[in-house]
Amino acid sequence: MGRQLTLHILRYNPDKPEVKPYLQPFKLEEEERMTLFVALNKIREEQDPTLQFDFVCRAAICGSCGMLINGKPTLACKTLTKDLPNEITLMPLPVFQMLGDLSVDTGTWFRELNIKTEAWIKTEKKFDPTALEDRMSNDEALAIYEADRCIECGCCIGGCATANINPDFLGAAGINRVARFMVDPRDERSEAEYFEIVGTGEGVFGCVGLMACDDNCPMEIPLQEQLAYVRRKMALAGIKM
Amino acid sequence: MSSYDVFTTDVLIVGAGLAGERAAIEAAEHGHSVIILSLVPPRRSHSTAAQGGMQASLANSAKGAGDNPDVHFADTVKGSDWGCDQDVARLFAETAPIAVRQMAHWGVPWNRVTAGKKVLPDGTEIYDDPDKEGLITARNFGGTAKWRTCYVSDGTGHCLQYAMDSVVVKLGITVHDRVEAISLIHDDTRCSGAVVRCLRTGKLRVYLAKSTVIATGGYGRLYGASTNAIINEGSGMFIALNTGIVPLGNMEAVQFHPTGIVPTWILVTEGARGDGGYLLDKNLHRFMPDYEPAKKELASRDVVSRRMTQHIRKGFGVDSPYGAHLWLDIRHLGERHINTNLREIANICRNFAGIDPVHELIPVRPTQHYSMGGVRTDINGMAYGLEGLFAVGEAACWDLHGFNRLGGNSLAETIVAGMIVGKQVAIYTKDASINVSTTLIQEHVREQEERIHNLLNCTNGKENVYEIRREMENTLMENVGIFRTGEALEKAVNKLDELYHRSLHVGLRSNGQGPNPELASALRINGMVKLAYLIAAGALARQESRGSHYREDFPQRDDVNWLKRTLAYWPKGSDKPVLKYEDVKITELPPGDRGYGEGSKQTAGTSEVSK
Amino acid sequence: MELQRSTELQKTYVTSSKLELVADIIQLVSGVSLAFFLWTHMVFVGSILLGVSAFNKLAAFMEEYYLLPAAVVFIIIAFTAHVGAVLRRIPGRWRDQKIIWQHAKTIKHGDTWSWLFQVVSGAAILILATIHVFVVVYGGISADLSSDRMHSPFLWFYLALLFLGEYHASIGLYRAAIKWGWIKRQTAKRVLGFATIIFLAIGLVTIGTLWMLGGSL
Ligand SMILES: Cc1cc2nc3c(=O)[nH]c(=O)nc-3n(C[C@H](O)[C@H](O)[C@H](O)COP(=O)(O)OP(=O)(O)OC[C@H]3O[C@@H](n4cnc5c(N)ncnc54)[C@H](O)[C@@H]3O)c2cc1C
Ligand code: HEM
Ligand code: HEM
Ligand code: SF4
Ligand code: F3S
Ligand code: FES
Repeated sequence: MGRQLTLHILRYNPDKPEVKPYLQPFKLEEEERMTLFVALNKIREEQDPTLQFDFVCRAAICGSCGMLINGKPTLACKTLTKDLPNEITLMPLPVFQMLGDLSVDTGTWFRELNIKTEAWIKTEKKFDPTALEDRMSNDEALAIYEADRCIECGCCIGGCATANINPDFLGAAGINRVARFMVDPRDERSEAEYFEIVGTGEGVFGCVGLMACDDNCPMEIPLQEQLAYVRRKMALAGIKM
Repeated sequence: MSSYDVFTTDVLIVGAGLAGERAAIEAAEHGHSVIILSLVPPRRSHSTAAQGGMQASLANSAKGAGDNPDVHFADTVKGSDWGCDQDVARLFAETAPIAVRQMAHWGVPWNRVTAGKKVLPDGTEIYDDPDKEGLITARNFGGTAKWRTCYVSDGTGHCLQYAMDSVVVKLGITVHDRVEAISLIHDDTRCSGAVVRCLRTGKLRVYLAKSTVIATGGYGRLYGASTNAIINEGSGMFIALNTGIVPLGNMEAVQFHPTGIVPTWILVTEGARGDGGYLLDKNLHRFMPDYEPAKKELASRDVVSRRMTQHIRKGFGVDSPYGAHLWLDIRHLGERHINTNLREIANICRNFAGIDPVHELIPVRPTQHYSMGGVRTDINGMAYGLEGLFAVGEAACWDLHGFNRLGGNSLAETIVAGMIVGKQVAIYTKDASINVSTTLIQEHVREQEERIHNLLNCTNGKENVYEIRREMENTLMENVGIFRTGEALEKAVNKLDELYHRSLHVGLRSNGQGPNPELASALRINGMVKLAYLIAAGALARQESRGSHYREDFPQRDDVNWLKRTLAYWPKGSDKPVLKYEDVKITELPPGDRGYGEGSKQTAGTSEVSK
Repeated sequence: MELQRSTELQKTYVTSSKLELVADIIQLVSGVSLAFFLWTHMVFVGSILLGVSAFNKLAAFMEEYYLLPAAVVFIIIAFTAHVGAVLRRIPGRWRDQKIIWQHAKTIKHGDTWSWLFQVVSGAAILILATIHVFVVVYGGISADLSSDRMHSPFLWFYLALLFLGEYHASIGLYRAAIKWGWIKRQTAKRVLGFATIIFLAIGLVTIGTLWMLGGSL
């Protein structure tokens, strides 16, 4: 016999705004190696087929399932119930638009972020299908990958109080995304151009160093270092300008 | 008649994985208006889960020297067990290097060649040429003569998808996420778009287009144990099948990956073996060299999966509550290598199995992984049967993979086919027009509204969608797995026949209002059971063994009778599929020995040979 | 001509967008110098531990060389700059206040709480330290005066100021260090935790000594 778990899940239906969000308890018997992915699907299939939540890869790769698990913003699919107490509270990530219950619209938020930060390689070069690729050192490639690993799960955004009060704040994911292009030799943007994107109150100078991002990133991207890197670089750029 | 939103575009792409987005970019660059539909935000598509890499014969790495499209072509044809179309394989192998370089241009941080001497885990020394320093490197993958798989540590699919989507964002291509195409609008000759359900509101919409592209990925989730994302339910394939006119090709060709982690079935990439990982049995004996002395752990996937199952059957498996399994050992690769090059794997082991692969063995068993079958198209990506309908990526049977896909060839396919098919879509769309009557649209919408109405009100019955689904999964797992027999397949077909009929009587438990997830599942279940039926029926009919399709009662490949492709139809009004066949296209390489596997003369696998 | 105008325009645009950077640097410089001021000041006041005469000599020395008014001027400038720069950070609107406290309660995250206490302690210091500076400047500084002030209900005032000031300075330095990436978070925590303990100890012993002096004199 496994433990008896009680999951208190935030219920909310945007179609019925008159019903305020509330926590609904569900009881469930724990199984060996049970993850919240398994637990939530069991609840949906056996207890309440209307329960909304998002999973895609169930392997901590796609970034769909960020939520507050006993307050901590993290991925539900990689959270084992054995690491949690008997009482578990699940809430949707703050900041993002609520779509229902545990489901939030991270997709739209991140698309807007990518438009705002012009998160693509900016270059005047045209692709030549007959030429060899441009060379790059393997260390450079690894440095880009380190930042490129972000899965847009939104845990760093949902956990950041600054992002919660300022909807325009790029957040750690946004600043890290810009850092990814800064270290990329293929991107031809000048420091001044980068300054306009992140040298602002919505960018790196809006970050007050709460470090919830650094503590909660499920990909363990070194966000503190990335934020500091961009802050120093932008300060220098700003002073030179 | 209720109201619904109508969207009109030149090109409608259903699916925002690598294949869909690449095709969308091509069409948009040719000046067409494009809308991409997706169940999830594009960057959550299953393509991001691919870790290992993408094949292209760049020949930059030491062990890739001498590689070229000819070698890649031959590997692909052998891998497919001569089931592919060779003109497609040729086009593919020639284009793959361009695709990899273009992705580099778009920002993919491919790992690069570092010059100098290196010692491989097995002791061999290799020397990377200083001339190649900084060019895109490659790793070893199963079934290839050269090291050809380009990679980004172990986040290849992720980086490819992010770079691809960054171009989609840059070009301002419209993406509607959290929507699901539930049927194609057509008049039996032309496809004019799709009826789509919005997963935010539950409302129906109509999308009208000059050309429609299905890029919805695989159907892994028909199986209970699959490495696939849970959205891989084959919906694109069955909406094509539901037209009654479009056939699906080779649905019985299902790939099992040798190393799914027990019991979550999350994939441990082939890179783990490519980088030198071993498979061990319960006595911690490395058994693969006994079966496959040449390629060992790196024979093609179908072969390794079967060898593993065979070895488990001989009693060498490790017992566990989740059934017998084997071990994957990467400890000897060292902490540094594991925590950098195989970091994602290390994390998966730690998070989902509580195992530290630096010090511990990983429990693995072959797991459903890839669908070679799909919407049958010609070399231009045009679906058989309906004009204006295209398919690309894992959802398609273009037919590059035949009966077995090589690792690294499907990421390459999504992008290469995306380029080629996208261009053909652009050409087709230039001369096409949207020509569809309001009555036809309303007819299609009404049909879907009626289905929803019936499910909500339990008009046809109260069958539980989750129960049917579980029974379907179990049927495929038990009877249509790695080793197949006529008897088991017959059982499966009978069971699926029953499930098909029951799926017509599903009724909801909940009220089904708004973006109700139970309704979404209920709308899919009938189509999913149909796909499962095609797999079982196709496998039962095919009385030979080829690639991943292995019949114990017909263990030999039979080129005389079966050198052909299954085309499965589900005619309107029928309660059974109809199977037809067509010849595979052989342009260069006549059927021969693969060089590995049970049928090969070069391996000592079967007991007769080992004598 | 045309070109020059447009670059000029761009310059004003760019300069105005540099405001946040400027504010951030003012905040950093003022914060860090206030922290060092506080610590130096703790050591100075701690001279009472070496005896009454040492304390008095130091006070006289400071008077003589105009170091006291210099310190007062510095404090006024640094405070104004710091408060000015930091004000933009303090959630002003009621709605924001509600969100931020709710947020901290929900996510139960140490560094988020410490920031909120930083804001609160900063606001408290603003009042307490202003009073304190007035009192010492107008009341004068000597072992007698100081210990008398201490041996009174003012004791509680000093204890509060000590703890709030130390907390605010240490957390402030920690935050500045990690935001600019000078040291690793764990190292920063350890170093500053150590410094805090040392200065709290000095402060407490000083307060205790002054208090006892105040009783005995
Ligand atoms: C774990 C794993 C690892 C892999 N590793 C490798 C590897 O290393 N190398 C390699 O070459 N291959 C690998 N593969 C295979 C490869 O990743 C896939 O075959 C490939 O990514 C499929 O891409 P796709 O674009 O066809 O489909 P997907 O990426 O699956 O995209 C499908 C898209 O269609 C959308 N969609 C689906 N149905 C609908 C609908 N009804 N309406 C609207 N939208 C819909 C989805 O939202 C999604 O955007 C791996 C596969 C798995 C499972
Ligand atoms: C002895 C006096 C003070 C010292 C030593 C001090 C020190 C510091 C330091 C070092 C920082 C970090 C700066 C940075 O992160 O860039 C800081 C931040 C801060 N200070 Fe002070 N400060 C003092 C007085 C005050 C006062 C009077 C207030 C009142 C309003 C205040 C409010 C704040 C706030 C809100 C922050 C946080 C700003 C942010 O994180 O962005 N401080 N302080
Ligand atoms: C020009 C400015 C300042 C002067 C001249 C000054 C001087 C003094 C003096 C003389 C004392 C001894 C007690 C007394 O005489 O009342 C004292 C104590 C103290 N002061 Fe200040 N001070 C100044 C600013 C500050 C500021 C800005 C703080 C801020 C936080 C502060 C915090 C304290 C504390 C906590 C004590 C208690 C003694 C201790 O713990 O060491 N002072 N100060
Ligand atoms: S930076 Fe980390 S926490 Fe933030 S979105 Fe990316 S992966 Fe998630
Ligand atoms: S939590 Fe927020 S304030 Fe900065 S350090 Fe992280 S982005
Ligand atoms: S479901 Fe993909 S990250 Fe959790």
